[in-house]
Amino acid sequence: MTSRRDFFKLGAAVAAAGVSPAAMAALPEIVSMDRADTRPPLLPPNGRPYNPVVTLNGWTLPWRMRNGVKEFHLVAEPVVREIAPGMKAHLWGYNGQSPGPTIEVVEGDRVRIYVTNRLPEHTTIHWHGQRLPNGMDGVGGLTQPQIRPGETYVYEFVARRPGTFMYHPHADEMTQMAMGMMGFWVTHPKGPHPLIDPVDRDFCLLLNAYDVDPGSATPSVNTMLDFNLWTFNSRAFPGIDSLNVRLNDRVRIRVGNLTMTNHPIHLHGMEFEVTGTDGGAVPKSARWPEVTTDIAVGQMRQIEFVADAEGDWAFHCHKSHHTMNAMGHAVPTMIGVNQDGLAEKIAKLIPDYMAMGERGMADMGRMEMPLPDNTLPMMTGRGPFGPVEMGGMFTVLKVRRDQRRGDYSDPGWYGQPPGTRAQLWPGAVADPVRASGDAPDTNTDIEVTVRKPAGHSGH
Amino acid sequence: MPACPVSRRLLALTLASASLLGGCATFSPDGGFGAIQSETAARAGRDVVWSRDDATRAQTRARVEALLAHPLSADDAVQIALLNNPGLQARFNALGLAEADWVAARRLPNPGVSIGRLTRGSEVEWDRSLHLNLAWLLTMPLRAGIEARLFEQTRRALVLDVLRLAADTRKAWIAAVAAIQSEAYQRQAMDAAAAGAELAARMARAGNWSKLKEAREQAFHADAALAVARAGQSRLQARERLVRLLGLEHPDTLQLPERLPDLPAALPSLPDVEQRAMDSRIDLQMVRLQADALAKNLGLARRTRFINVLELGAISNASNEVPLQRGYEISFELPLFDWGQSRVVAAESRYRQMLERARQTAVDARSEVREACAIRQSQYAVARQLRDELVPLRQRISEENLYRYNGMLISVFELLADAREQIAAVNAAIAAQRDYWLADADLQMALAGSPGPAVLTPLSPASAASAAGAH
Repeated sequence: MTSRRDFFKLGAAVAAAGVSPAAMAALPEIVSMDRADTRPPLLPPNGRPYNPVVTLNGWTLPWRMRNGVKEFHLVAEPVVREIAPGMKAHLWGYNGQSPGPTIEVVEGDRVRIYVTNRLPEHTTIHWHGQRLPNGMDGVGGLTQPQIRPGETYVYEFVARRPGTFMYHPHADEMTQMAMGMMGFWVTHPKGPHPLIDPVDRDFCLLLNAYDVDPGSATPSVNTMLDFNLWTFNSRAFPGIDSLNVRLNDRVRIRVGNLTMTNHPIHLHGMEFEVTGTDGGAVPKSARWPEVTTDIAVGQMRQIEFVADAEGDWAFHCHKSHHTMNAMGHAVPTMIGVNQDGLAEKIAKLIPDYMAMGERGMADMGRMEMPLPDNTLPMMTGRGPFGPVEMGGMFTVLKVRRDQRRGDYSDPGWYGQPPGTRAQLWPGAVADPVRASGDAPDTNTDIEVTVRKPAGHSGH
Repeated sequence: MPACPVSRRLLALTLASASLLGGCATFSPDGGFGAIQSETAARAGRDVVWSRDDATRAQTRARVEALLAHPLSADDAVQIALLNNPGLQARFNALGLAEADWVAARRLPNPGVSIGRLTRGSEVEWDRSLHLNLAWLLTMPLRAGIEARLFEQTRRALVLDVLRLAADTRKAWIAAVAAIQSEAYQRQAMDAAAAGAELAARMARAGNWSKLKEAREQAFHADAALAVARAGQSRLQARERLVRLLGLEHPDTLQLPERLPDLPAALPSLPDVEQRAMDSRIDLQMVRLQADALAKNLGLARRTRFINVLELGAISNASNEVPLQRGYEISFELPLFDWGQSRVVAAESRYRQMLERARQTAVDARSEVREACAIRQSQYAVARQLRDELVPLRQRISEENLYRYNGMLISVFELLADAREQIAAVNAAIAAQRDYWLADADLQMALAGSPGPAVLTPLSPASAASAAGAH
């Protein structure tokens, strides 16, 4: 969704800064997005043709052609990003959202990017992975002066190498990236490429992490490791859209990691190959099949597979804490702790108290209890068979026979053919036959060590 | 030895004056107690009874029993003390003694009759005489005046005693009720700690927790139990103090309410409180009386000017009996005498001494009432702050913490620690409420006489931040 209003706003600001109306007209208009859902691919209206990508819960920035140069206008600014329904974060981003819009160009394009700073502090943009003149690399202080608030800088270079890239600030980088400033960049090959196969569906997403104290909205920028929101494109499950494809589509998913830790990204149901990194396409001889690929900090991976298995297939980071939303890492384990008689006593002091965790944490997925404002449940989401008990970096790849080409809409839950789903065993289960031997002795030892503290401290 | 001849004329005069004085020198029916009763009623709004006979004693006992049938309000407690405090009843007898002195001072001494028989040889001389204590007769008006003033002083001192007992009883009642409330909350805190300790033990039994963490929870529990024991002790002490003031033989009959009265919606304003104290303080009235007596004793008769003792400067307006009031100036005035007419330098010195003592009393009184007023005001602000801001804030914190617990962001131990902190805040609010009522009682007392040193109990340190063990 574009907003022309913002363009005029900027025009006034520039005029105030003493720039002539002619110079103002020379800037491409600012296009801004006010929604967090996945936008359909932007079919190139001009320039060299290419097969566009789909940015998960994001969009591609339109450009204008001017004397053969593709001109984009990025505005660095504070944004409100919906992380999932029920939670909005106060972030910094580009053109209305965090992450910023994806920039798609074609190998050999001359690209000119205007960067307007509407942040309260200076910024720059570094074009991660690009071959470009040193002065365009965007490292504040090192290759250019920082862009001060209110200023507009122009970057210009030729997109020389096709592949998967990102952009992010290189000025007060820690703060600005913790606040969500980043975006995706795809340079499509200008013709048939020996290592870059054409695909039917091409998705891209950035991995990001935030530490938003439950009940608040702004990330703690100084957090180094203990983040509590793990996101794909600044969205957390169940706010992440599904990846909807047609059966037997060749699918590419490009993933970049701008968090502070690695993420083993895992796909259910099918094997994939890593066909490229932010360093370029991987030689075919160097590719091997995987179902999980680890993406280190500051790395990008593009994985490819043929979606030849129908169904709803989970796609997620395999660190199980990263498929949770905000949780207390210091909460003690309550499994096996009988709270009979005690819960009532506690409830006398703390009305509405409810014993939790006695049998595990799955209660959490079921119960709907009041949480702090603007906080997502730790485990949540519903599927056709009950609570999905997930959060964070989790979504679903939906492979459907009848998904039309070019249709990215959600087909709903998969209708499993009869007899192909795990089912309840109605009969009795016999006690397992155990081999006799020293197993009981081992058990006794364990019993002793377990009982000891209780014996000393019981009262 | 020949009898001293007495001038007929002098004898007649003396007899006449003595009979005149003696004629009204009878005991008053109430022993001067009526004035105390009316003054007490005016100042404390309570009834005071001097149980001098069995009938009155039975009556007061019935009244006390009726009051003890219900949980006692502060006013009822004061009433019981005024009826039943043995110390006060004992002091009332000072009134009887003073009146006896005063009456005695106005009665003629019994005349003496003596018969003497002297023989010298054959001569027998009968000596018959009727004699009176002439010195007594001559000084009788003076002594009657002194005794009258002493009686008046005694009466005022007794009014002060009654009011002080009323204030002490009120304060003891406040302390006793607050102690009950506080103990109840300490018990709740202990329940929270007990739940934590029990849960910790169960967690250790299930293998989920270390001995260290279990011991920590048990230590919280033990601490909380100690606090309950201490609170119980305080409650007992406060109650026994009240029992003593009420003069109860059977303390079991004493029932107290569970809560202190609420704070007033707004702090009642006290305009001109310092001037009111100057006018109503009994200790100042007594000083005035003493100054008067001294002036009479020294023969300082001609009052020429007033002196504002607080400024120790003469006020120009002479011979005006109405106390001079200029705007908001605080005054406490005593007469000043024209020393030019005085014969005795010593008299001046003694009267000056008196004036300085009066000044001391007036300065103290004024400062005491100011202090009491300010403390009452600040205690009110503190109590309001705790009740209207801190306690609701702690409640909000607890609510938010429960949400965090629901989201598995914090554990039940944090909830319990938070409950303890909330209880501590409520406890601090009770202490502040108590201190407000104590300050209020002190101020009422300060308008009658010296309230004694202000006793301000510091609020429990747990009120502010987290004294209770945070995890």
